[in-house]
Amino acid sequence: MNLRDLVILVADPSSYISMLIHGMLRGFGSNKILEVRNSNGVLQTLMGQKIDIMICDMHLPPHGGLSLTRAIRGKTDNEHRTMPILIMSSDSREATIKRARDAGANMVIAKPISPANLYDRLSWIAFNPRKFVDTATYFGPDRRFKIEGYPGGVGRRAGDKEVEIGAESGPALAQDDIDNLFSSVQTGQD
Amino acid sequence: MTKGKGQKPGQKSGAKSGSKSGAKKPGRSVTAPPIADVSAAGAVENTTSGKKEASSPAARIFPVDTHFQQMARRVGGLQRDKAIERAQTALDVVKPAYEDFLEREVTGLADLVRKVETGHDEPGWIETAAFRTRQLRDSGGTLGYELIAFVAGSLCELFDSIETGSECNMESIICHIDALMLARQKSYRRLRPEQVPELTKGLQRVVKHVTI
Repeated sequence: MNLRDLVILVADPSSYISMLIHGMLRGFGSNKILEVRNSNGVLQTLMGQKIDIMICDMHLPPHGGLSLTRAIRGKTDNEHRTMPILIMSSDSREATIKRARDAGANMVIAKPISPANLYDRLSWIAFNPRKFVDTATYFGPDRRFKIEGYPGGVGRRAGDKEVEIGAESGPALAQDDIDNLFSSVQTGQD
Repeated sequence: MTKGKGQKPGQKSGAKSGSKSGAKKPGRSVTAPPIADVSAAGAVENTTSGKKEASSPAARIFPVDTHFQQMARRVGGLQRDKAIERAQTALDVVKPAYEDFLEREVTGLADLVRKVETGHDEPGWIETAAFRTRQLRDSGGTLGYELIAFVAGSLCELFDSIETGSECNMESIICHIDALMLARQKSYRRLRPEQVPELTKGLQRVVKHVTI
């Protein structure tokens, strides 16, 4: 993956976490990294220049990264409408991941972030372009997927034990499970 | 996990996709969306995958190949292992300074909670404390301070539950602050949670009790 000269916007309220992500991206060969701390900063940056990909925290103030994602996807006269958006979230329950997907995120990466996880998610976005869907209620990457035997995020693997979970929250998902929720038509599962 | 679903992003499928991008068959044409980011090349539909597109007249489905995707696929990038190694080296460089950050954040968090406990009016303290705790959890996890990440993660659960309507139980918060004060000490900070089972199980019990 070649990140040189691509403009990456890191949107995280924490300057320390941003610094860590910045360092990782530099390690990957990126040389144009911008940082902002809130949604207003994102919107101002998007108005001022072309951003190639945004890495955005789920808790980005004031309204969260998903509201921001919906706003970017929903604005029709917006050159960043199809910009890849990678959401960082420490809440990896299935319901949360689905909310991110339904907001139009390309992918969710679970916090804490490791270099390998970040690299693989960026690479997945780069090498697996997804079609976009435009309907009255949704604009964003194709969300279609099929999960066989995967009710509530448990029992999918042969060795998994039966687990009773609450209806609304569900268990935290591993990064692979998050990826599966985003794997789409190109894996032949639609 | 099935191989197809669980494949590592950007590995096999990447090569496949990369070659595919240059070999798109001409087929059913799709109107390009009225946005600047969709490439001209992306406006050609692959007939083999078009079965669902036709089924919903209200939905417009179109391929998108963004500048990021085009540029990231260029030759000349770093190999995965090399890129990750370099990123890890970048993290190793900041690690020595992390302990100052850790000290500052844990102390700041403890001071804030102490003020609230002693009756000081601290508007928005839950949000501030939750922010600091999330920082500790995320940075600790990324930099390999697993016990810090665990304790902070447990405290995050408490703050999350308070933000969603649970009662604010100061005792349980102070219990976590005490655990953080312990975990930041040199002899503890590099331990893994499973090396201090009494501590971790105790915190789990506290969280379970408070959040139910």
